[in-house]
Amino acid sequence: MKTLTRSFLRCTILLSWFVLCAAQAAGYDTAQTLPPLPKPFAAPDFTLQGEDGKTYRLSDYRGKVVVLNFWATWCPPCRYEMPSMERAHKKVQGEKIVLLAIDVGESEDRVFEFTGQYPVTFPLLLDTEGAIIKKYPVIGLPTTFVIDPRGMVTHRAIGSREWDDERLLVQLRKLLKP
Amino acid sequence: MIRLLTATFGLLLVTQPAAAVISTGTDAEAELPYWEVVEHGVSIRLVQRLPDQTRGFFQARGFSIADSELVAQSCMFQTVIKNVAPPSDQKVIEYNLDEWVVHAAGAQRRMKTREDWQKEWTARRAPKAAQLAFEWGLIPTRQTYRPGDYNWGLSVFNLAPGTPFDLDVVWHQGGERRSARLKGVVCAPDIQVSPAPQ
Repeated sequence: MKTLTRSFLRCTILLSWFVLCAAQAAGYDTAQTLPPLPKPFAAPDFTLQGEDGKTYRLSDYRGKVVVLNFWATWCPPCRYEMPSMERAHKKVQGEKIVLLAIDVGESEDRVFEFTGQYPVTFPLLLDTEGAIIKKYPVIGLPTTFVIDPRGMVTHRAIGSREWDDERLLVQLRKLLKP
Repeated sequence: MIRLLTATFGLLLVTQPAAAVISTGTDAEAELPYWEVVEHGVSIRLVQRLPDQTRGFFQARGFSIADSELVAQSCMFQTVIKNVAPPSDQKVIEYNLDEWVVHAAGAQRRMKTREDWQKEWTARRAPKAAQLAFEWGLIPTRQTYRPGDYNWGLSVFNLAPGTPFDLDVVWHQGGERRSARLKGVVCAPDIQVSPAPQ
């Protein structure tokens, strides 16, 4: 009986250790989260010039899911996530999902220079005076909002993400379903 | 035996928050010293930043030589604050830099935050673009992170280059105030490398 008890205890400890280790390992994989906002709000509209010289108005994208990213070229996590945003942009082409990245406080030349190192084909908008970022609840860069087809901000990510991760794309696609 | 088994299961299933683990070493990316506290679901890392890096960064963003020198002499660190809890945890982390305490030369002081600098730049008439870069470059004074969220920004301790200090970092997790002390943190010395003589 004693031997049986000892073996049972050993198994239990071993199993629990394994479970705890697995949970801890999973804990490190926390970056790919897209938390919903407790209180969605209407996305403040704006019109901004793009680095490509075109003019972009947020409300023109009504009926689509908009991933709206605030960033700057000097911000390391912003640079880290830019290639994944480009990959995500390519993955969702043909779907009603668009990516817009608003550079805060920098010149067209500086952003153009950046695209030499980080080729990006989705719109890069210029908030040169930092006026648009003040309309959104942004405290640090990068911050990314997800706007649903009705124009409501439903999710926010603080810090970089791997935007082409299927877990995030699934969440974006869910917003397209009524 | 039943008691023993119940106690064992209880011990294994009730997970207590781990004690804060404080470490120091050389940051692999910056190749400069770092100090870090990791507790259940929270990670706060300070990486030294050389005054020359600070001068270069802020001069490139439109600050005058005098203004960039002021920042370079103020003990700046790269700071990364993360909520590393698993998404299922739903634990929110909040902090306010006004609660953090700097212990240096037998005195206590608070950090110099975005709001303090904003007043300073307005008084010094720093260019708007430079002020914007400074504002967004600094770690937020107050922030709330859900699992997966993090910020990476500059923090200023308002001490001379090379000064050693201790730092009490404070955060709130699930409504509970938690803190840890980073001991023996050192502001980067002001090393200005000159070209080797030909």
